[in-house]
Amino acid sequence: MKPFAYTRAHTVWDAVAAVSAEPGARYLAGGTEMVNLVREGQESPDRLVDIGDLPLTEVRVHGRGVRIGALAKRVHEHPEVRRRLPVLAEAGLSAASPQVRNVATPGGNLLQRTRCHYFRDVRFPCNRREPGTGCAALRGVNRNNAIFGGSEHCVAVHPSDIAVALTALDAVVHTHGPAGERVIPVEELYRLPGDEPNRETVLDHGELIVAIDVPPTPFAARSHYLKLRDRASFAFALVSVAVALDVRAGVTHDVRIALGGVAPRPWRARAAEDALRGRRFDDDARAAAGEAATTGAKPLPHNEFKVELVRRAVVRALSEVEGR
Amino acid sequence: MTSTAEPEVGRARLRKEDARLITGRTRWTDNMVLPGMLHMALLRSPMAHARITKIDTTAAREMPGVIAVVTGQDLAEEQGSLPCAWPITEDMKAPDAPAMAVEQVNFAGEAVAAVIARSKAEADDALESIDIDYDELPVVLDMAAAIADGADLVHENLGTNRCATWVYDSAEAGSGGAIDDAIAGAEVVVERTYRQQRLIPAFMEPRSMLVDPTGDQITMWSATQIPHILRWMTAAVTGVPESKIRVIAPDVGGGFGGKLQVTPEEIITFLMAKRLGKPVKYTESRSESLASAHHGRDQIQKLTLAADRDGTLRGLKVELLADMGAYLRLVSPGVPILGAFMFNAIYKMDAYKFVCTNVFTNKTPTDAYRGAGRPEATFGIERMMDELAAELSMDPMELRRKNWITHDEFPFTTVAGLTYDSGDYESATDKAMETFGYDALRAEQQERRDRNDAIQLGIGISTYTEMCGLAPSRVLGALRYAAGGWEHAAIRMLPTGKVELVTGTSPHGQGHETAWSQIVADQLGVPFEDVEVLHGDTQSSVRGMDSYGSRSLAVGGTAIVLAAQRVLAKARKVAAHMMECAEDDVDFTPGTFSVKGTDRGVALADVVVHAHVAHDLPDGVEATLDSDATFDPENFSFPHGTHLCAAEVDTETGRVRLRSYVCVDDVGKAVNPMIVEGQVHGGIAQGVAQALFEEAVHDESGTLTTGTLADYLVPSAADLPSFDTSRTETPATTNPLGVKGVGEAGTIASTPAVVNAIVDALRHRGVNDVEMPCTPMRVWSAIQAGGAR
Repeated sequence: MKPFAYTRAHTVWDAVAAVSAEPGARYLAGGTEMVNLVREGQESPDRLVDIGDLPLTEVRVHGRGVRIGALAKRVHEHPEVRRRLPVLAEAGLSAASPQVRNVATPGGNLLQRTRCHYFRDVRFPCNRREPGTGCAALRGVNRNNAIFGGSEHCVAVHPSDIAVALTALDAVVHTHGPAGERVIPVEELYRLPGDEPNRETVLDHGELIVAIDVPPTPFAARSHYLKLRDRASFAFALVSVAVALDVRAGVTHDVRIALGGVAPRPWRARAAEDALRGRRFDDDARAAAGEAATTGAKPLPHNEFKVELVRRAVVRALSEVEGR
Repeated sequence: MTSTAEPEVGRARLRKEDARLITGRTRWTDNMVLPGMLHMALLRSPMAHARITKIDTTAAREMPGVIAVVTGQDLAEEQGSLPCAWPITEDMKAPDAPAMAVEQVNFAGEAVAAVIARSKAEADDALESIDIDYDELPVVLDMAAAIADGADLVHENLGTNRCATWVYDSAEAGSGGAIDDAIAGAEVVVERTYRQQRLIPAFMEPRSMLVDPTGDQITMWSATQIPHILRWMTAAVTGVPESKIRVIAPDVGGGFGGKLQVTPEEIITFLMAKRLGKPVKYTESRSESLASAHHGRDQIQKLTLAADRDGTLRGLKVELLADMGAYLRLVSPGVPILGAFMFNAIYKMDAYKFVCTNVFTNKTPTDAYRGAGRPEATFGIERMMDELAAELSMDPMELRRKNWITHDEFPFTTVAGLTYDSGDYESATDKAMETFGYDALRAEQQERRDRNDAIQLGIGISTYTEMCGLAPSRVLGALRYAAGGWEHAAIRMLPTGKVELVTGTSPHGQGHETAWSQIVADQLGVPFEDVEVLHGDTQSSVRGMDSYGSRSLAVGGTAIVLAAQRVLAKARKVAAHMMECAEDDVDFTPGTFSVKGTDRGVALADVVVHAHVAHDLPDGVEATLDSDATFDPENFSFPHGTHLCAAEVDTETGRVRLRSYVCVDDVGKAVNPMIVEGQVHGGIAQGVAQALFEEAVHDESGTLTTGTLADYLVPSAADLPSFDTSRTETPATTNPLGVKGVGEAGTIASTPAVVNAIVDALRHRGVNDVEMPCTPMRVWSAIQAGGAR
């Protein structure tokens, strides 16, 4: 492990200034991800700026929805989150293990790195970790990799559960950066790999997520997160589905469907949404949505099963949310 | 000392060792710190098969805190070859097994260099500065390809990847007829090929060792299951006299066979401490553990089961390929052989043949893992019984009943040549079937099939037996194993009334301190609390064969009884002398000696003092009552039981949910029913893990892609149903306690029960197998391939 400097920031602006000033500086929040990356060698920062003391821990309900501080702990247990945003509460609870959830943060969760084996194992070439070295996953064991949004340079999937839920809730992140503040929809936070897989998000160096805003929507309260995985706890999604639904008089007025575990970012299934919108919300419509959700899927040799899993998981998530 | 009314044996006592184990206020090897202690880190090969063309350690030596950097070349003179104690055939091929690779690496994770530094962090950092070049060699991964003509070779100098072929033929052994005749004459022949995937023992405490060369003896603390064998083998490998080595296994956090090993890491640490004259500690990381500690299972089983139309079994042919990995470790070649005597299981048949070919590949070596050979065998036969039942349109339990050894036929010599001393398969099965609600579940299964429900129900059966209590030394000798299978116990009767029991078994989570105390308390009539169990230190435990193979109680427990009997025999002489009567007139009730037919008596405690001060002993009696004994069993013990599993299979997603799990195990007399229960629960969980979750996966380059616990799916309680466990108690006749062993039973029984349930749920859809682990993807794919939608 390369030696690094450690700084504790006391204000957001101190933190942003400290990281912005040094290309090799990185933020440290809960540490459940960054510490592992440093230990295993995927990250070798010159400086870690600990933002654990920053006053970003609140979950607040206000006229414009729910604001979640980037350092809020166990957001999924918050009664207002559970009541207003069930898909987010379910996604948060399904992530990691109790030990990890006790210290991890929402901001860190959104910026966690892929679990692709070949990214995590530094002995392998990986364009995401070391640009230009190649993608070992394309020819390797790629069961867990992407069926949407990959490129010939990278087929990693983003592992976050809450990012999928937040995408279905039209949530945005607030950031402070060297160039000032801005607001970015969660879905647009992530870049697809294209030929630059190492650029994972649209954030500038030093730009810090300070809060997540979930707007009031007619579909948030009737929402659900279905996560399919290899074991019941401490496992990442093979496929997950976040659905949020506004059905009026039996007809789908509006809907959001986002998929996890299948793409380098939360994957909005717009074709599936279109298959539902304005139609009766019945078995036929749900089956059509499931079919539409697979549009454009490009499976790899080991993950063809994910296409069918997506189709069925969308149908099931929609069926399960119906009764709510 | 007073006698307790209620016997200790049979009581569900809380474990006396748990408080310290659970709170961690105890001695794990990695907790220990010695003055001047140095830390070691190992550089491991990322290549599965390659020649080392260059190692430059210059830069690493310059790093802060670094004391020494060594390569395989530096150790070549001293490191010898790691031991394989089980040359199963005369012509077995055994490669040199250096602790550190010298010229060539043969699996990814093999150690190629070591750094010793003042801190662990400095040692880890320096690893990155070692410059090493490899010349890649073709990687051998697939067993069938490995033994085909013209295959690339793991070890060029052996000229083959075929390690050994071992055969048991009932016709040759005289234990049954000829298998070819049985198959030719049978009305039904079922053939299947099953794969026992590669598993990782995944003990929670990583391997850890600390070697202190200070003083006359070199002391090695190690998180091992086998301190006695480790001492012996370390002497054999390094040439250091055994008398100059002391091995201590302090509290050890799990093993499951994974710490039944003489590891490269132990030898390297030992040599470095000796060379530097300073204590050296090495503790592996989790990833190192998963990649480098030995793996388990990994067999291809080709099975042929012959029967008559009425279900009567005729014969079984077993053809195995067993993956040794790159080297032969301590008992690697023998593991599949232990299955040779178990494929026939509890069933009667005319003929049996077992042929096992051990194969080298460029993977982590395999060796003992919970059950070692017997889970493989039990899986094979129990799956085949279900397949035969389906072929005959018979109820699978009916088929088993028709063929198993009935309770009045014991002792029974099987077609594999073992003599089962006892058992009652009927009682265990009847009890399990009733608790399970077999008939109601069959009805529900039919109902779900009729309405083509998305959730299908399956019932899995496993009526297993296993051979435990490893092992009669003469049998081990006949199987060419290099050591014996006896066990030793010593009892020290302290003058203050307390008792020390020194056992040769080496617990690593089993609860020996509690169970052994219960045995001693009953034998001598001393309070449970007054018994201190000492183990795991070759200086205090002078003899022992350690813990594995469900042997500790059946063999080591018996040694305790024999040692206690010697204590009492001696005490009786002293008591007679104290009471001035003939020895024959002395009665013993726990804790007290008395003169028959009188109220004259003397407490054991007083006899202990009398013998210890030795002021007035009868002629020919030595001071103290301390005694020891060694027990070598005449036969194995044969626990058995019936495990029933109801599984719901989601035909849309392939997900399996275990709905209920009922087992009735017969492990003989239970010394501590709570410990038995714990072993059964943990065992079932580990067997279910093989059925549904765990698999060590290597990619084409031979790299382990399941190298973390996020990828290697050890299940948690959230993945498992509530187990309904109970027991029947048919005492073993081969030891005075009537015990059989329970450490492996759950693991052996549960894997086929679960897979049988999954296949049973899907059989009407044309599915007759799902390869393990039965992940949603595999189950779903099997449904698609079955085609009967």
